[in-house]
Amino acid sequence: MTSVNPQPINSASDISYEMVCHFLYREARLLDQRKFTEWDNLFAEQGMYWIPLIEDQPDPINHLSLAYEDSMMRQVRINRLNHDRAWSQKPRSRTSHMVSAIVIEKICDETNRLVVGSAFQMAEWRSFGLRTFAGLYTHTLVVSDGHLKIGEKRVDLIDSGEAFEPIEVFI
Amino acid sequence: MDIDRLIKKDEVHRDVYVSEEVFGLEMDRIFGSAWIYVGHDSQIPNPGDYWTTRIGLQSVVMTRGKRDEINIFYNRCPHKGARIAEEGCGHTNGLFRCPYHAWTFNLDGKLRGVPYLDGYQDTSFDLTDPRFSLRKVARVAAYRGFVFASLAEDGAEFEDFLAGVKSSLDNFCDRAPEGTVSVAGGVFRVVQRSNWKIFFENLNDTGHPIATHESSYRAARQYSEEVLDGELPFELHIIDGNGAPPKFWSDLDLHAFDYGHSYMTAIFNAPDDPLSQQYFASLAAKVGEDRAEDILAVNRHNTIIYPSCSPHTSFQQWRVIRPLSVDRTLVEIFTFRLDGAPDELLQRTFTYSNVVNSPSSIVMTDDVHVYAECQKGLSTQGGDWVSQHRNAGQDQPYSGSEGGLIGVGTSELPIRNQFRAWHEYMSEGSGQSVSPEAS
Repeated sequence: MTSVNPQPINSASDISYEMVCHFLYREARLLDQRKFTEWDNLFAEQGMYWIPLIEDQPDPINHLSLAYEDSMMRQVRINRLNHDRAWSQKPRSRTSHMVSAIVIEKICDETNRLVVGSAFQMAEWRSFGLRTFAGLYTHTLVVSDGHLKIGEKRVDLIDSGEAFEPIEVFI
Repeated sequence: MDIDRLIKKDEVHRDVYVSEEVFGLEMDRIFGSAWIYVGHDSQIPNPGDYWTTRIGLQSVVMTRGKRDEINIFYNRCPHKGARIAEEGCGHTNGLFRCPYHAWTFNLDGKLRGVPYLDGYQDTSFDLTDPRFSLRKVARVAAYRGFVFASLAEDGAEFEDFLAGVKSSLDNFCDRAPEGTVSVAGGVFRVVQRSNWKIFFENLNDTGHPIATHESSYRAARQYSEEVLDGELPFELHIIDGNGAPPKFWSDLDLHAFDYGHSYMTAIFNAPDDPLSQQYFASLAAKVGEDRAEDILAVNRHNTIIYPSCSPHTSFQQWRVIRPLSVDRTLVEIFTFRLDGAPDELLQRTFTYSNVVNSPSSIVMTDDVHVYAECQKGLSTQGGDWVSQHRNAGQDQPYSGSEGGLIGVGTSELPIRNQFRAWHEYMSEGSGQSVSPEAS
């Protein structure tokens, strides 16, 4: 992979706005290219992918979530998406993400963490047609071994309480 | 419409799934008369709380009144027809106020006030006439906090309707140290592009998991083998279960009862871990060890309370099936706290539901897909009849106290049983459907 940051990252304050933007764009592009394993490798070891069920949901433990997935559950989802008999993936989902309004909300040098907010839309084509997901991302990025990794990707859908048809790919 | 022509002993005509006319009749004769699940009383703990939902295609409001009683009325202002409460849970301070012309109603639906009252003099309007109050549904009944309603004045008594599956509701609540349960954690809502009956048929259908869910159980096993040396943590254990061999499924028991109800015995047990032990201790502390063991020995997978809901007693979830149109169905999934049990047990319920019932479940998505495929295939002229032959005529009367019929785990008994009730309701009967199928 080509990197915009050839210098190793030592701390959160080494990270430029441009690096953050590139990280988020590349993350979205990996999903749209169905490079799910590469996408998953962007996560830190304990990294979580979370889609809350309600607005301002305080935590994923004491409430249902549309998704709350650790490395194991993400990889199982990926295994399934790649399986020949994933019936509902015939034809497979195609997606296009738009990520915008990227704002670095917090930088914490002590924990080497950044909190990055952004807006997104994801169009998805399925056998039943085209549909759109929209909402806000909140990425908690961590510096780990000289690399930027995802500590948590929170996906707040603007219609999270709606009735959905199944959601299969990562948003 | 000639209903009899749609039903044979072990087959049904495709029109039951695809005909708009049949769907219209179902809304009238089934959802307009059967006991339909509305909500749980923990959703409206205080006077003025309300929960707005649907009975068939009717929008209804369930409220708790001043004397703690539960009222259910149609969500329709008697003035111009506006709905007076939005969907979901809410609270009102003692009265409902229509957002259009500010007519107000007491918590029991009675009209309280009308602006410009002078203008109604010498008209047929009467503040005390029930037709100017919110219209109550015909009958309301509850069992252990689960509230049902019937839109028909006449019909089966609630206790008779519930008889066969009452033991599932008892077990659902008896598992709580306090003996009561409360809705907790929000509600999942999933739309299916298929007729509501297809979902009901699938709930106790053990023939489908090994085929339909192959991608998810293979995915779980692949991870387990590659990363965990074959170990199956709780989440993977749940997914893996769908890939059990045929004998596993046929060894299960299926129980079927009057009114279309049924249940199947459990597919998997709760893990024997410190949390389960802690929970057992909390239950035993209240009811004694022997009783606690008896309660947990009743281990069931889906129970079906036809035609509106399906509790899962051992993981505290409750699915509600709400038909939207002949080919659209909304399924709502509620999770419950066992009052008095450790918080971590509720967290495990959420984990279970996140994996199995979230709109993003990797298991359910293939179910929803095949339901839609059935709906599409049934709309073709490729054949008029749908098979329900598996183990037909082989089910036996059950000697246990609940009565009903018992069949091997792979029998289509629950499906045939649902259609017996369907036939009864659609022929404008009570849905009781007593005819035993045992030979």
